[in-house]
Amino acid sequence: MTDDTSRPSSEGLGLHALRRRFGTHVALRDVDASLPAGLITTVFGPNGAGKSTLLRILAGSLRPTAGSVSWRGEKLDPRSADWRSRIGVLSHATHLYAPLGARENLAFHARMHGLEAPDLDAALERVDLLSRAEDRVSGFSRGMRQRLALARTLLHDPDVVLLDEPFTGLDSHAARLLEGVLRTLRDGRRTVVLVTHALGEGLALADHVLLLVRGSVRLDAPASDFEVDGFAERYHGIVDAAETGLAATASGSPA
Amino acid sequence: MSDERAVPGWLSVVAAVAGKDLRIEFRTRSRSFTMAGFVVLVGVLFNFSIDQALVRPQDIASGLTWITLILSGLIGVGRTFAIEKEDGAMSGLLLTPAPRDAIYIGKVVANFILVFGIVLLTLGVFGLFFRLDYGNHPGTLLLVLGAGALGFVALATLFGALTASTTLGESLLPILLFPLLVPMVVYGASASGRLLAGRPVAEVAGQGRMLAAFAVLALGAGAALFGQIVEE
Repeated sequence: MTDDTSRPSSEGLGLHALRRRFGTHVALRDVDASLPAGLITTVFGPNGAGKSTLLRILAGSLRPTAGSVSWRGEKLDPRSADWRSRIGVLSHATHLYAPLGARENLAFHARMHGLEAPDLDAALERVDLLSRAEDRVSGFSRGMRQRLALARTLLHDPDVVLLDEPFTGLDSHAARLLEGVLRTLRDGRRTVVLVTHALGEGLALADHVLLLVRGSVRLDAPASDFEVDGFAERYHGIVDAAETGLAATASGSPA
Repeated sequence: MSDERAVPGWLSVVAAVAGKDLRIEFRTRSRSFTMAGFVVLVGVLFNFSIDQALVRPQDIASGLTWITLILSGLIGVGRTFAIEKEDGAMSGLLLTPAPRDAIYIGKVVANFILVFGIVLLTLGVFGLFFRLDYGNHPGTLLLVLGAGALGFVALATLFGALTASTTLGESLLPILLFPLLVPMVVYGASASGRLLAGRPVAEVAGQGRMLAAFAVLALGAGAALFGQIVEE
């Protein structure tokens, strides 16, 4: 949950009537929301809610069918090199080269970002992998790979960090370490967007909560409004109501 | 945007991508061993299947070299994006501000080094099995084969990126690629055949220029289209 020392420093990401279609399927339906700078926004939602689609649009790997994204009040081109130099993306795919060592992976990433003298030791130390710096990633466990992926994500000091189900497949130790590093991102400057199914972990990290169901925003509120148990109840209530409403609409009966 | 961010240099990206691909290949040898094995196999098979009392190796060496170059090249270059697909590495690469044409040229450089190594191996194997005479201008012969290898690699890398994202994958690559390689094979086989036969360099100058033009066009098209192909 948020504390009073971590308030948004400036306007962050704005989503304006964002829509994305895949054929006849609408993954995002005119989404309007603000993702404040300096805070962690957790995006919740059941499967097929459009969470990953939203993240892919923000990362510039998918074009919206309609609508736009703004950053610090200005319309954004998510495919521009400038934007790509500002974002860090962590997902369940680690984006690492298994035959290369941990340090080699980071060094390659640093060159793709034009970093002249990256502190690779500090980056590896941050995720507790300095002792394995020269080891090839092919010999790493899932948790170690995810930690190295986190180091890669943060190496170029991104303004915006996009996290897509980062806890998937991690044991409790790796999840705790990841959670610890993610907490350090709440530094008043960075905009962090976390997409997850995990209600407890997601809410524990969140300052702001967004709930998507079938591509629409159903809840947009500060995380401090909720306790974990109360949030789970509210979440299931909203999701069930939305799903029931859609089923009723499809069958022609009133919801 | 207000604050400035670091911008990756074009040449730095080319060198980094090429270096990364070559380092991975050096460690895994996943492509080079298969390509080299194919070349040796072709040499052995033709050694047994050709009656050298009736057919002069010099007469068929040129065509055989180009066929070996293309088929072994397909084996190697076709898998150039396999490592990028593992654990979403290519997606990660595309999330960086690195210029897409520089990524493409970096991959072409790595593939060219690999394929040109196979060209040298092919000439060595044919020399060993057929006692092939490399003609009066072996340097020019290497230039001709090098230009052909560059044109081939430029197109194969581009189409490799295209087919890597399809369900048909590598099996689609030769279908798309072979028709486009016809001009290169026509000029290349003719030029190298003449050089192996000991004809003067002036006789193959036109074919050499066509091969160079083909390589330049293929590289230009690849650099221009690569970004469109790998991004949505």
